[in-house]
Amino acid sequence: MTSTWRLITVLSGICAVAGFALAGVYEVTKEPIAYQKKLEVIRSLEAVLPGLKTDPDSFFLDMKREDESQVRVFRAPTQNGDAVAGAAFEVVAPDGYSGNIYIMMGVFPDGKLGGIEILSHAETPGLGSLIVNESWKGLFRGRSLEDTNFKVKKDGGDIDQLTGATISPRAVSGAVEKGLIWFRDNREAVLDAAAGGEKPVNTSGETS
Amino acid sequence: MSGYGQEFTKGILKDNPVFRMVLGLCPLLAVTSTAINGIAMGLASTFVLVCSNTVVSSLRSIIPDKVRIPSFIIVIASFVTIVDLSMNAWAHQLHKTLGLFIPLIVVNCLILGRSEAFASRNPILRSVVDGVGMGIGFTLALFLLGTVREILGSGTFFGYPILGTAYNDILVMILPPGAFLAMGIMLGVFNSLDRS
Repeated sequence: MTSTWRLITVLSGICAVAGFALAGVYEVTKEPIAYQKKLEVIRSLEAVLPGLKTDPDSFFLDMKREDESQVRVFRAPTQNGDAVAGAAFEVVAPDGYSGNIYIMMGVFPDGKLGGIEILSHAETPGLGSLIVNESWKGLFRGRSLEDTNFKVKKDGGDIDQLTGATISPRAVSGAVEKGLIWFRDNREAVLDAAAGGEKPVNTSGETS
Repeated sequence: MSGYGQEFTKGILKDNPVFRMVLGLCPLLAVTSTAINGIAMGLASTFVLVCSNTVVSSLRSIIPDKVRIPSFIIVIASFVTIVDLSMNAWAHQLHKTLGLFIPLIVVNCLILGRSEAFASRNPILRSVVDGVGMGIGFTLALFLLGTVREILGSGTFFGYPILGTAYNDILVMILPPGAFLAMGIMLGVFNSLDRS
């Protein structure tokens, strides 16, 4: 065996073994990872639509934002299942301090916010990252376009900025306002219980 | 033939990868904003280090010299991917915080350095001991740095407030410059201890 062939065989051999090993690990971890991701969605839905049972796998609608991007609207049915009790969807704040901020927001049919949840962000630790604190996110609960000016106080609005960080709260607040406006403009479609998704299976009152 | 004990302790004290050899600083400076992040990163690196040392050492007579670096990288990258996937599956929250820095363990020069300088020239058991020692030394350094930065920067230790509400956080300590400050001071302290 010439030395070049030896190099090729050894390197290929190592790659093959590594490939098979990784395929195995991928198979084993695939399920738990998918489960964790789903759990994350469920947790955020519970946080933004408090008191409602939202199943991420049924009764959702795939719609388009004003910029034509896809958005999945998760919806919680009312007790008897013939109407929508709340809707949750993801909005993106592109104007954070560093990178996009992904936000899940929940809205009730009357246009009031159920809450917001920061799904992911890369804001400065200790400053902008404080937007994930319950005390700040909680400021949005129960607010609607009618009674709130979704600007930070520094800009003459109703939302508290954070000490030393205005940019992140401003970005989140702006994205939430846009989401509410989108909801208002698409209210009919979002609240149409007959549309999209599968019919809701067991709703909250009967199972738990 | 020197004892395994010495092989083990050299990684923690005499040849500590961070304070003596100043290796693997990229993850060190980036993730040590809290003590728990430091430990998690340290343990993940230790796992990769021990596994890759074992494999590299057992293959050392098979791998031709010319392709040794690519071979080491493949071995290391495989173990890093295993850690990455496993953490994503079973320590999801931690995986989210450490994020990008887990895949970056691949380019941690500490790990390639030990494969090249030690494991490729020593028997398996000795390489494992070396990996464990170096890994613990690395983890301790990350933990120490994380602790200092977390206490000074956010007044907490493992997330529990310990300095009371009157304490004014030195914010810079949990930002990247704080990592350099803390690191520099600790290097200085270790050097002066070493000399005396």
